[in-house]
Parts: sequence; C-alpha cells; structure tokens
Amino acid sequence: MSKDNEKDTKANETPSANDAGKSRRNFLKFGLVGAGAAAVVATGAVAVKRMQGIPHDEFPVELNDDFKPIDQRNQINVFCGSKALNEKHPERTRSFNEMLKKEDPANYKPFDFYATRRAFMSGPYRDAPGYGQLDRALAVGGFSSARQQLGGGSMEAPNSGVSSWEQTMLVDHKYEFESPAQANTDIKSAARLYGAIRCGITKRDKRWDYDPMYSVSEEKELSWEKDFPFEPKSVIVIMTEMDYPAMATAPAWIQDATVGDAYANAIKIAGQITIFLRQLGFKAVASMNDLGINAPYAIAAGLGEGGRNGQVIVPEYGPRVRISKVYTDLEFVEYDKPRTYGVASFCLNCKRCADSCPSKAITFGDQTWGPEYSTDPDYIWNASKGILKFHNDAKKCAKFWIDNDGSCGNCIAACPYNKPDFWHHRLVDAQNVIAPGPVHAFMREMDIFFGYGNVSDPDKVHRFWKLGDKV
Amino acid sequence: MMGMTWYFIGLVLGLSLYVLFKLRIRYGLEWLPLTLCGSGIGLILFAAAWGVAAMLEGVPRAASMGLLLFGLPGIVLTTYGARLIANAANLSSEGSDA
Repeated sequence: MSKDNEKDTKANETPSANDAGKSRRNFLKFGLVGAGAAAVVATGAVAVKRMQGIPHDEFPVELNDDFKPIDQRNQINVFCGSKALNEKHPERTRSFNEMLKKEDPANYKPFDFYATRRAFMSGPYRDAPGYGQLDRALAVGGFSSARQQLGGGSMEAPNSGVSSWEQTMLVDHKYEFESPAQANTDIKSAARLYGAIRCGITKRDKRWDYDPMYSVSEEKELSWEKDFPFEPKSVIVIMTEMDYPAMATAPAWIQDATVGDAYANAIKIAGQITIFLRQLGFKAVASMNDLGINAPYAIAAGLGEGGRNGQVIVPEYGPRVRISKVYTDLEFVEYDKPRTYGVASFCLNCKRCADSCPSKAITFGDQTWGPEYSTDPDYIWNASKGILKFHNDAKKCAKFWIDNDGSCGNCIAACPYNKPDFWHHRLVDAQNVIAPGPVHAFMREMDIFFGYGNVSDPDKVHRFWKLGDKV
Repeated sequence: MMGMTWYFIGLVLGLSLYVLFKLRIRYGLEWLPLTLCGSGIGLILFAAAWGVAAMLEGVPRAASMGLLLFGLPGIVLTTYGARLIANAANLSSEGSDA
C-alpha cells in the first residue's frame, strides 16, 4: 500500500471514530437530562402524594393502657368557669400557686383560676398597640355571635343554644342515601355550602368523648347513657378559618376577634348540618368544644395532624382553624381515614411555637406518654396520660390569657404552617413533606429569616387596621 | 394581581426561550451558555413571582429576601451566560470576517 493510500485510509477512519465519540457523548448527555427530568417528576409526584396525606387504617397516634377518656370537669376552661369545681378542689389552685412562686418569686402574685377567669376580657384598656378600646370592641364584637348562638354559654357548654340536645325539626321519614360514599359526599357538599373550609366524617369514638360531661351553668355532670338523647354513631368534623392578618397581631386583642368570629362560623355550620341531618330523618347534635375533644376527632377524620402546640395542623392553614362537630346516629356513611402529613416530624425540629409561648406552657421536648413538667397529682390533674404526644401545661396557658385580658394565639401566629394561600407557601409545603428532619430545622430558620411568624409586632396591628381600604 | 404576574412572567419566559433558541441557531451555541442563561432567567422570574406574592400577603421582608436569595444568583448566572454568548458571537463574526 502506498503512503498516499495509507493517509487516505486514516483520513477516512478518523471522522467515523469522532462520530462514534460524539454519539456516545450525546447519548450520555441525553441520558443524564432524561434521568434528571425523571427524578424531578418522581420527586414531584411523591411530594404531591404526601401533601394529600398518607392514609392510615388506625388512629395515627400511639395509645397505651393508661389512656382514659377525659372527665370534662378537668378541662381547663370548664374548671376556670366553675365555682363549684374550684371550691371542691382548692389543692389545684394551691399547687399552681406554689409553682408560680417557685418559678418567679420576685413577680409572684396569688392566682385564683375562678376569680380571675370571671374578669376575663373586661379589664382596663392599655396604652399599647392592639390593646385599646377599638381592639377590645373588635374582640367582644367578634365573640358576640358565637355567644348568642350558644345561648350566652361558653364554647364548652353542652346542651346550650344551637348545640341543644332537643331534636327539633326531626322528620319521621329517613332519607336513603345512594351509598355510604354518596352520603359522605352529600354531607360534605352541604358543609361546603354552609361555609366549611374542611369537613371530615369519622366513627364516634368514646376515647375522644368527655365522660362524664359537665354543665357549668347547672354545675352538674351529664351522662352519655342517661342524659344524651341518642347513641351517636358518627361524628362530622367541621373546620373554619381564622383571619391571617388578625391572627398575625397575636397576642393583641385583635386576634381574639378572629377567634370569636371563627367560633361563630363553626357553630353556625354545625347547627345547619344538624338541621340538615334532622330533615333527613337522623338525630343530630351540634357541638363546639363540648361533648368531645376536637383535636383527635379532626385527626381521626383525616383533616390534619397533631402539632407541638397541641392543636391540629391542617394542610394549607396550619393551626389557624376552629373546629366544631356534629354527633349523629347516621351510620350509613363512608368514614374518612386518618392521614399524616409529615407534621410530627416537622414539629420535632421546629419549636417556633414553644419559643413564642409567653407563658412557657409548650414543651421543648419530644413526644411523651404523659406530662413531664410535674409529677404532683394536684398539679397535673388536667393532663391526659397514655397517649404519645407533646404534653403542654394548659394551666400556664390559661394564666397568660387572664394576664393578657384576652386570649393569646402566639403559637398559631408563629407556626410555619400558618400561611396565607399563596403559591410560594405551597411550594415550601411540598418541599417540607419530602425533606428529612435536618432540612426542617433549616426551614424553620428560613421562616424566621424571611420575616414570618413574628409575634407581639405593633406594625402588624397598624397594618391590620389599614386593611379596611381593600373592602 | 397574582394572575397578571403569572401572565407577564409567561410572556417574558416565552420571549426569553425564543431569543435563546434564535441565538443557538445563529451562533451554534453549546449547552453551557444556554443552560446558564436559561437557569438565570428562570431564577429571576421565580424571584419576581416570589416578591409579588410576598408583597401581596403583606410581608415585605420575605419579598426582599426572595429577591436577594433567588434574584441575585439569577442575575449572576444570566450575566455569565450572556458573556459566553457574546464571546461565541465575536468568534463567529471573526470567522466570517476571515
């Protein structure tokens, strides 16, 4: 072979080798791009699925044999409102005062659950943003509708006003739903129309019912078997939203107004659902904070997950909701499954509610089977036992409400899940459900860094009172 | 307001993709300048949408932090990508001059 021929051969071979190299590189490139796109799509799909909640067949919080239904007489608001219970249990006030004296001897003032509770929301106006006559008027006005609907009673009062046990407007003919699933949808369609932002239906569970119940106005116990008009089979859980800008002013009195307003909406809807069911021939009773504990019922109905602050954390709303219930004898209905949304894992790492709690009532620790803040039986009388959750000291919380002459709301306002409905928050939510624990701690820092969840901020009070321009 | 923001972001994004596509055809651009410019423009638009949403919800600090954390890297990436495109354009014009 001549040299020229050899050159020609090499020249002919070289481009084909280059082509093969280029082809391999292109293949790798496309492969990488394809793998990246597939990873993004898969991650997105996982995030979307987890944001809808992982369904569970059983209640998603562990219980042990120590667990017992709560006696409503031991519910903090009921105890604070009841003269008879306070007289019966002076050791509770004594024990709480001992703790107060021990924790802060310099600023100790004797505390009386009943006497101070009576003066709630009626103290003098203060020279501070969010604590003036305008703010107090807003709060009292906000609560007025709920109080009127409940016949002047408290949110914890059973058999009062709209939540009366009398079965008025009950028709004889029982409506036949197409199917249990259709019954579920029909009830929720009615709840949506009446104004619910969330509605779930679950089986009546005696573990979450107060037993016995207690009427403060009559100072007497009420029994499920002897006093309640029927045996409930199902519980419909209804949620209403509290206003974001108003809640952001916490712990100023403005946030009381949205609490009261959301209570009014919640009890209104529960009352309407009650009549809706009675018109279908089923017995029903509306319930605000009486009859049973709202949080476990809401969790059982798949509406949210228990948070560190003791409230139900609801996707898209966080703890900024109020819950009412309807107890009914309707059984032919499909129950919603409890769902978990990654809240427990986030709460373990976040602790913003505990940081913002002015009375240090919220634990910084992990979930436990019972309260760890005290072992004194005269102190932990109101605590639940045998349930693995964050155990907080409701008495300290109640004391701050009384000192604040309103309620508080800091743990709601500070919660990173409490955000208005904007796209970037849903994006962060999606990120949080797929990210592991250390990322949650980082997200908590980012939440602070971006200026969310500040409490006791006078600017938010001024901003709230300018929102009227937009109406 | 947010709807209008998405509308304008869509317009800007469409226009940017069109311009990048044209530049690629004209100067035979490699993947690096295109990726840098595309990512940079994406980040800038993300920051703009974040900023508008944060202002609408009444948290100006979140708007400014969003612009800083997402918008600034976006500007850096876009600028670097644009410089690479300018270099490619210069080389291309030098080649055609020769």
